[in-house]
Amino acid sequence: MPPDEARTATPFEEPRRSLMISSLPRETIISIVLFAAVWQVMSYLAPSLGIPAFAIPGLGRIAQSLTKITPLDVAVTLGRVLLSLVVSFVIGLLVAVLMYLSDGVEKYLRPMVRILMAVPVVSWILFAVLWFKGVEFRIVFVLVVVCAPVFTVDALDNMREVSRDLKQMIRSFRPTPLQFFHKLMLPAITPGIITSWKITLSLAIRVVTIAELVGAVTGIGHQLSVAQELFSVADVFAWTLVLVVLLFLLEALLVRLETHILRWRA
Amino acid sequence: MTGASAPIEIAQLRKVFRQTTSGQSITAIDQLSLRIEPGELIAIVGKTGCGKSTLFDLLIGLEHPTAGSITIGGKTPYDDFNAFRGKIATIFQQDRLFPWRSALDNVKLPLELIGIAEDTQHERAMTWLKRLGLEKFANAYPRELSGGMRQRVAIARAFAVQPEILLADESFSALDEVTANELRKTFVELAREFKSTAILITHQLEEAMAVGDRIVVFGKSAALLADVRMSDWDRADYPLLREAIQNTLQANAPDARLMR
Repeated sequence: MPPDEARTATPFEEPRRSLMISSLPRETIISIVLFAAVWQVMSYLAPSLGIPAFAIPGLGRIAQSLTKITPLDVAVTLGRVLLSLVVSFVIGLLVAVLMYLSDGVEKYLRPMVRILMAVPVVSWILFAVLWFKGVEFRIVFVLVVVCAPVFTVDALDNMREVSRDLKQMIRSFRPTPLQFFHKLMLPAITPGIITSWKITLSLAIRVVTIAELVGAVTGIGHQLSVAQELFSVADVFAWTLVLVVLLFLLEALLVRLETHILRWRA
Repeated sequence: MTGASAPIEIAQLRKVFRQTTSGQSITAIDQLSLRIEPGELIAIVGKTGCGKSTLFDLLIGLEHPTAGSITIGGKTPYDDFNAFRGKIATIFQQDRLFPWRSALDNVKLPLELIGIAEDTQHERAMTWLKRLGLEKFANAYPRELSGGMRQRVAIARAFAVQPEILLADESFSALDEVTANELRKTFVELAREFKSTAILITHQLEEAMAVGDRIVVFGKSAALLADVRMSDWDRADYPLLREAIQNTLQANAPDARLMR
């Protein structure tokens, strides 16, 4: 039997995000250079405008601060973020599965999840300081309690949106509950899970910094706290830059992973 | 493949749905009794909303009847759900392939579910893809295949488990006529070769007559309007048969001449 024609590629396809990120567009470079130039001009003009010189340090001073960045602090912050995200993901997904499987569980847990999401990060930090002794545990606790509900809500919504037709098809072959989740639900919600990771990654980077400001003796947040005590705007700028670059690198890594995992979508 | 060994016995089957919004009851199937012999190729035809697809869901075991029963070899597909693992396969109107799996991996899916060894899975899935002329597209994702090719993968997936019972719900009605005819022919050939009990549910009388050894016509709430064995009719009389079935469908009243 001769097979009919395979579908031809769509002529207009979206540009791949990985390419957009790995090769910066000209406009991005221009806007960064413009910002740097304006900053440098402001730095020169600051004293004549009545602004203290330390408030807007020159690019040279910032570059000097960048050379003093300690990789250990970057690694510690990165480690905390990744560990917390993995723990949040596992907890978030398990809770979502339980809520998906049982309407009763869903009815009890949904308000709790919503309440957790509504609590401000600062409150969680204060609770962590008051409740726990260990600094590391405090930081991981804050990150998990902030990120896990996001994973739960996203995973649950994605599970609910899995095509009824696909569910009926696989059920007709009588899978075990584990096979049902492993063969259908997990792959079907993977695109949503990756989006969820992108959101929580950015959230975690911002939250970890605040959590590290309180009590931590290592990490980027701690270094920012030290810089603030020394009135060193250049150091604050340098560490912030490191955080932003770290976030961009991790996002680029996620996009590469997404391109590979979701190659079937192309 | 040994083929089907037990008849499907449908006795006084009734299925009532209660609408969640209005609370009204809808009788999808009312007192249906039917016996389908092993290896029989039966086409069930009826208008939209006559209860065909409800019967399909009951036969798969995804719904429980309100009253009555479906038994196959002394077991029911809904209460003894797992007893039918690897024995019932389905082909739906849409291909229902997993978009994240290649054609080969889609055919392997039911084999994975019933616990066939990895080597055998690959070998058997490839055999079926070759059989359906898709060996060159084994690694293609569904989005890279045409509608006809995807439906062929779905047919390969159903036959790969070597089912005793094969259920097809409007499986060819979404395809163009040329592809649909080709796939109907393949479906009939394979069902006969492997001696599966095959049930095709359709709203197209022409399709039912092209595929079925036996045609069962449903009226409202799956009322049995006609039950015709095609071999009882001369090919020259098919236009008469077609007209008689159309009339009984139109009138929604059984025709004694069309009851075997």
